Amino acid sequence: MRIAPKYTQMLAVAVLGGATAFTVVVLLFIIVFVLSKGLPGVSSEFLFSAPKDSGLSGGIFPMLVATFVLPLMAIIIALPLGVGTAVYLTEYTRETRLTRVLRFGTDCLAGIPSIIFGLFGFIFFVVMLKMGWCLLSGCLTLAIMVLPTIIRTAEEAIRSVPNSYREVSYSLGATRWETVLKVVLPNALPGIVTGVMLGIGRSIGETAAVIFTAGSILPRSIPVSVFEPVRTLSVHFYILAREGISNEKAYAAAAVLIITVLLVNLAAYGMMHRFIARRSR
Amino acid sequence: MTAKLPGKLIVRDFHVFHERTEALRGINLDIQANRILGIIGPAGSGKTTFLRALNRLNDLVPEMHVEGQVLLDGQDIYHPSFDVVSLRKRVGMLFALPVALPMSIFENVVYGPRLSGVRDRVRLNEIVERSLKAAFMWDEVKDRLQMSGLRLSGGQQQRLCLARVLAMEEVEVILLDEPCSGLDPISTAKIEEALTVLKSLYTIILVTNNTKQAARVADNTAFFLTGEMVEYGNTEQIFTVPRDARTNDYVTGRFG
Repeated sequence: MRIAPKYTQMLAVAVLGGATAFTVVVLLFIIVFVLSKGLPGVSSEFLFSAPKDSGLSGGIFPMLVATFVLPLMAIIIALPLGVGTAVYLTEYTRETRLTRVLRFGTDCLAGIPSIIFGLFGFIFFVVMLKMGWCLLSGCLTLAIMVLPTIIRTAEEAIRSVPNSYREVSYSLGATRWETVLKVVLPNALPGIVTGVMLGIGRSIGETAAVIFTAGSILPRSIPVSVFEPVRTLSVHFYILAREGISNEKAYAAAAVLIITVLLVNLAAYGMMHRFIARRSR
Repeated sequence: MTAKLPGKLIVRDFHVFHERTEALRGINLDIQANRILGIIGPAGSGKTTFLRALNRLNDLVPEMHVEGQVLLDGQDIYHPSFDVVSLRKRVGMLFALPVALPMSIFENVVYGPRLSGVRDRVRLNEIVERSLKAAFMWDEVKDRLQMSGLRLSGGQQQRLCLARVLAMEEVEVILLDEPCSGLDPISTAKIEEALTVLKSLYTIILVTNNTKQAARVADNTAFFLTGEMVEYGNTEQIFTVPRDARTNDYVTGRFG
């Protein structure tokens, strides 16, 4: 028996709406749970002082700084490499077996568990290059880790730029490079920013890749050189919870981490919207 | 007689291949300066392919290759030593769908000049005013040059595209690929008016699906059919006493 379209329509609305509601509720529950447990422990003293007694008391300032600096440096390294690769693959090469293999490779890399990147970073940067556990080892490892995401999102963004824009640019006597610079990249920017945001989000919350490369030593102050070991908030949280040092401090650190990610996202989207608004005024 | 004028563009035994299929089969054509050449013919006859071959925009399609010669002022534009960037600055193009780049009207117009290295603000302002006037749209937009080109109507965008081509100081030939196909009659009339004025300065080639448009504005007309040029001559002759029966059928609307 065939169900009347009117009822399948109602069923579809109910199922889709239910899926959305479920997702939102789970997300909200996690956020509210962590914030309600963590926020009472967050104070300006907690935010801006160094930890004491392995984190049992004191604050998280050095970790907070590391949490910003590490992903930022990773993105500064990964962005030009990733966007450059994406531009080369889309604008400078024809679709061949080689580009398909490269794309498949980046897709595979994007799916590799971060602990593998951590292990690689440990063996290559920390041990082989004798860099030791430090900020630089950490951000190089994170850069490699987020590179596939940036390449693929930038590639999709570049592909979505209408071909007619390129034709117009070429027909006005632009070279390939001028076309990339003046037409392709500005119009792919929103998509590239999305990729960067995914990359930042992934590296801010990253624990496994960081603990092996940037270290987990409890810092006394903020890092002053890239060759100093650092501990990020997520690593700090992991150790506090894992070693059972202080649940209260762990939740406070988690709350700060969630708010940090939120603020970074808001800032990036704000910047992007301002850029788009300026171009379509 | 027009035939005695020197050819601005001379096309000799010109073939275009798209993979294995032959899109153009041996075109021979002398295109005269300061005239409007109309190219008519049904869909798939190779009109657009021909047009895009004249500024080597087909180069962007890797499956395409050409044989034969296209001479611009006597120089073979497909010769390896011919600089394709300078060719495209001399041979400008308007597309069937008007494409304003997502930037201000001002920046759209100076796109070409900026690429040629014009930086001086006063000179850029002059270029914008001159080009927009020539495209019959200065009065409409002179107070909102910083507005995005995307916010213009289709007809205005097409005239903006025309202004953008005219802004290039090197431009000598203007190619138009069905520039009015998506436009209303008033916008069409404005483009046609602009073309008839501009032909004193430029060589204009107009591909059109609208035979009446060719009859209205073209000095000479070529009729393309399945990759061949069936007939070429004075527009009046093509539309009144065509030599070929197929041309006659097409211009009288019996097919196509």
